[in-house]
Amino acid sequence: MTANLQIVMKRREFTVLGLILVLMVIFSLSTEKFMSVSNLSNLLLQLSGVAISAIGMTMVIITGGIDVSVGSILGMASVVAGKLLMAGSSFVIVVLSAIATGFGIGILNGIIISYGNVPPIIVTLGMMSMMRALMFQVLGGRWVSGIPPDIRIIGLGKWLGIPLSMWITAVLVILFSYFLSSRPTGRAIYAIGNNPEAARVSGVNLARTILIVYSLTGLLVGFAGLIYVARTGIVQTNTGSGFELEVIAAVMLGGTSVFGGKGTVIGSLLGAVLVGIIKNGMVLMNVPALSEGLVIGVLILISVMIDLIRSRGESL
Amino acid sequence: MKNIGSHIVENRVLFLLVLFLILFGVFAFSVKGFFTYYNLTNMTQYGVELGLLALAEMLVILSGGAGIDLSVGSMLTIVAMIIGVLIGRAGFNPSLAILIGLISGSAMGYANGFLVAYPKIPPFIVTLASLYVYKSLAMIISVDPRFGPNPMPVSNFPETFYFIGQHRIGGLPFQVLFIFIPVVLILMFLMNRTVLGRHLYGVGSNETAAIFSGINVKKIRVIVYTLSGLLSALAGWVITSRIASARPDIGTGYELQAITIAVLGGVSIKGGEGTAGGVVLSIAIITMLYNGMQLAGIHQIWQLGSLGLVLVGSVLLNQILYNRRKF
Amino acid sequence: MDAILECRGIEKSFGGVHALKKVNFSLHPGEVHALVGENGAGKSTLIKIISGALSQDRGEIFYLEKPVIIGSPRKAQDIGISTVYQEPLIYRELSVLENIFLGREIKTRMGNIDWTEEEKKARSLFESLQIAPHFIKQPMRDLSVGLQQLALIAKALVYEAKVIIFDEPTAILTEHETERLFEIIQKLKERKVGIIYISHRLEEIFRIADRVTIMRDGEVVGEHLVGDINRSKIVELMAGRLLVEEINHLGKKGEKPILTVKNLTRKGRYYDIHFDVYPGEILGFSGLVGSGRTDIAQTLFGLIKPDNGEIVYQGKTISFSSPEEAMANGIAYLPEDRKVQGLFHILSTSFNISVTVLKEISSRMGIVHNSQEKELGKKFVKELAIKAPSLDSKVYSLSGGNQQKVVLAKWLGVNPQILMLDEPTRGVDVTSKSEIHHMIASLAEKGIAVIIISSELPEILKLADRVIVMHEGHITGVFEDQDITSENLVRAATGERMLKTKGSSIEEKNL
Ligand SMILES: Nc1ncnc2c1ncn2[C@@H]1O[C@H](COP(=O)(O)OP(=O)(O)OP(=O)(O)O)[C@@H](O)[C@H]1O
Ligand SMILES: [Mg+2]
Repeated sequence: MTANLQIVMKRREFTVLGLILVLMVIFSLSTEKFMSVSNLSNLLLQLSGVAISAIGMTMVIITGGIDVSVGSILGMASVVAGKLLMAGSSFVIVVLSAIATGFGIGILNGIIISYGNVPPIIVTLGMMSMMRALMFQVLGGRWVSGIPPDIRIIGLGKWLGIPLSMWITAVLVILFSYFLSSRPTGRAIYAIGNNPEAARVSGVNLARTILIVYSLTGLLVGFAGLIYVARTGIVQTNTGSGFELEVIAAVMLGGTSVFGGKGTVIGSLLGAVLVGIIKNGMVLMNVPALSEGLVIGVLILISVMIDLIRSRGESL
Repeated sequence: MKNIGSHIVENRVLFLLVLFLILFGVFAFSVKGFFTYYNLTNMTQYGVELGLLALAEMLVILSGGAGIDLSVGSMLTIVAMIIGVLIGRAGFNPSLAILIGLISGSAMGYANGFLVAYPKIPPFIVTLASLYVYKSLAMIISVDPRFGPNPMPVSNFPETFYFIGQHRIGGLPFQVLFIFIPVVLILMFLMNRTVLGRHLYGVGSNETAAIFSGINVKKIRVIVYTLSGLLSALAGWVITSRIASARPDIGTGYELQAITIAVLGGVSIKGGEGTAGGVVLSIAIITMLYNGMQLAGIHQIWQLGSLGLVLVGSVLLNQILYNRRKF
Repeated sequence: MDAILECRGIEKSFGGVHALKKVNFSLHPGEVHALVGENGAGKSTLIKIISGALSQDRGEIFYLEKPVIIGSPRKAQDIGISTVYQEPLIYRELSVLENIFLGREIKTRMGNIDWTEEEKKARSLFESLQIAPHFIKQPMRDLSVGLQQLALIAKALVYEAKVIIFDEPTAILTEHETERLFEIIQKLKERKVGIIYISHRLEEIFRIADRVTIMRDGEVVGEHLVGDINRSKIVELMAGRLLVEEINHLGKKGEKPILTVKNLTRKGRYYDIHFDVYPGEILGFSGLVGSGRTDIAQTLFGLIKPDNGEIVYQGKTISFSSPEEAMANGIAYLPEDRKVQGLFHILSTSFNISVTVLKEISSRMGIVHNSQEKELGKKFVKELAIKAPSLDSKVYSLSGGNQQKVVLAKWLGVNPQILMLDEPTRGVDVTSKSEIHHMIASLAEKGIAVIIISSELPEILKLADRVIVMHEGHITGVFEDQDITSENLVRAATGERMLKTKGSSIEEKNL
């Protein structure tokens, strides 16, 4: 039992969890607002988009790939949702269309990567640029704002005091953890990341698995786009730019290896929470906007360093 | 047995060359004002800054270990601001300010390289963190206390400062002749003919084997990221001189474009594969594409879109042809 | 009995390389059919075709008397042809259990993976092979290569293979593991499985094979029952000429040791190591894989830091902190794992050969002389008979043995004071091996101190002037002259302390 406990404690997830707790203590001691219900639920709301997208990104990175188009997928899904809402479409149609947009782009990524045999970085970089241009075209360079309030239920609605979006995130995290640990397709994702040649030889359908991974990522990000619209009520041409970096950072902070083959959805969730808390704490502690990047950057580095020091101690 | 066709699909540089010629032909015939001496020479200046960043990205990606430098845009910005503030607000001699700018760019690159090589933090994380940090520092520097707490651009430079970015020789922009071309030649020489170049390819293709072969992997990593900082700094200087202003948001979004161009140029994201020639061709293609589209009156945002299209389309086409040939 | 598998007139080319020419090959149930030939003869290519990893340009394959198009590895496994490849195909981060079942999971009614059922099946499989299955939940990367290979054999059995192909399985195994593999092969034969067995160690062929097919330059040049042929005949067919195998021990070592190791300890790896190395001698390190030999070599090469102890090199106490430093001081080390530690796969043959000697073939400013680089490459391609279409060929396209020769070339060019060779001839064919042995001997003759680590007893017996045997991190024997016998080496390697060599400083301290 103690041996098991030690294994758990050595995991990356544990370090991240520890860091989260430490930061929470620091922030709540230094500002009263941090622990307030409204701030916490705001925090959860903000990080749910990153967390949901990170689920997809985790799978992508486990296969040894990368998806830098998630920011533009989020943007595109937001544009679709925003436009439809402005046109007075019904709630269901808006939700379905936003998700379908993400899914569609994801499928396109997946097809070119798996069947066209083009490296993921190329496909998703290209997709990102094309989607940005398309967004501009659709929006005509203008904003969409004044979005009707009924969509905001996803963003502002609560159940047992916790935002709906967080419930959805929790369900998705559980679902995908189960998928990745217990379903043959889930395990095939790890197999591909470990050794694609071996996976091919043992009969894993590489193309299909990769297609699934990128399409699911698109779908999840589409959903995150919906949450974004619901939360902010605004869509611009640059909505979601830089989002991809935040998602990848969350996944990598959560212990998924860039070289593929290992990683967990829980880890990525924790990574997303860590990034979210850092950003949130910064605002509350009145760090001047100009230095915000400075503090975020340094904190990211420190959190990785702590983990490195911990894992080095064990290997010596 | 091997015909020209199969050479073209196997060799990325040749493939890009063909792509370049086709695009050139299309624009020359269909876009008015494209095929003039003035335009052809003039447009080259627009490829310099992004080109330098793409070359920086090439070096870093080539060195393997999931190498990537997300901070090139931020380093460009901060160097632009340093030069701008030193000259425009502190009244430094331009040469001195430029020198300080280039040194600080290299130092920031060195910091990235150090963090990647010694504590072995993944490059993505390091350079993402420094993207935030350097950008934030650039904004902090740009604040002019005389005019309140907000970031401000600098645009009062002495006439001499504009020389590098606005002069021409025989129609060719100064920065192309005296910065870009020399940089490319030096890099080509470095990569093809020197021990350092061999070591770079070695480290990129198999880090462990490189260690076992007595290559100082850490040193190579540090050098590569430092060079990336230096090249970004050069770009920061050139752009400030060209647009006659140093702005704290100037390099935003450049990093992904630079990576895109490097990758289009045939640099493998896995490391160890890629050539300066390929990247230069890729820069030429993109610069020409931007120019042709602008002359054709297509909105600027579609430059970005077309960049994506060319990237995916060309590689996909390359793959399809390659597979077709096999069977 | 009828053949389970028969290949007729198989042809295969890679660009300009004609790798297989009209190859015929057959296999009976319960038979071990050995496939031998020089490096690059086409053995791996043939079995890749049989296992569906490649498809032939021409020719037919009959399986259970019916013509089949294999097409993919998946199909091959589905119809009962499994392969244990030259480079083991494993998922490092996944458990042994998953490595066995991935792609063919046992599922519950819900479609989830049924871990309990899989575990039960795996356990009974391992037990039927008489192996205690305590390791099945560990990640594959924690296992020794030998166990990894056993896991892959178990995987083949899960697929109910009728044909199992082994491509140089013993190249990475210890003697002990090899014995265990032979026992398992015996069991497989009893189950009427047909086995194709590729190896460069001819003595193994005589132990376990029933038939042997000999290939040369992509052609079958002979097929014999093992009882009807002898070793020298096989070698002659393979090489097209006779082979001189004797190596004389040199023994012409210098007076003073060039290197003295005292009291060296690194916890968990090796303990209290003492030995001397003399210029001009060949010092063998024998013992099981994992006995600490590689760790000691890597310590001398600056890759591992010892906890305590002293290394005196050319009269000075040293402690190198990197291979770069060790090399600058004349110490070279050829690593054991060519794939991970030795080769730059996507780079050219000439790059791989010259990378260790760039300093010598470049100007003071660090500019490489291309012509010298090319010359160096040409020289080694000729001396080691490296089969590569050109110096620009990427290393991954070479056959396994030729890749090993490239790694060797890379270190032979260095001209060090001390040359450490860790499993230098793994996967190299008999004729080339013999040539390499002669080269090693001539290096020693030039006054270089050669340390050779090898798990192949014959190699040590043939080359070494002196042998140090290790067991679990301790030196258990030091032998010289007529004491170097396989019996002594094996006894010491299994842990029996046999430090009785006269006049050695090691003796007094260790006894
Ligand atoms: N993918 C490839 N591309 C080009 N040539 C190849 C490729 N694979 C094999 N060859 C060539 O085909 C020939 C036969 O190679 P093969 O791997 O079958 O040899 P082998 O008999 O298994 O040798 P070894 O004992 O060294 O493993 C060699 O000349 C090799 O260089
Ligand atoms: Mg072979």
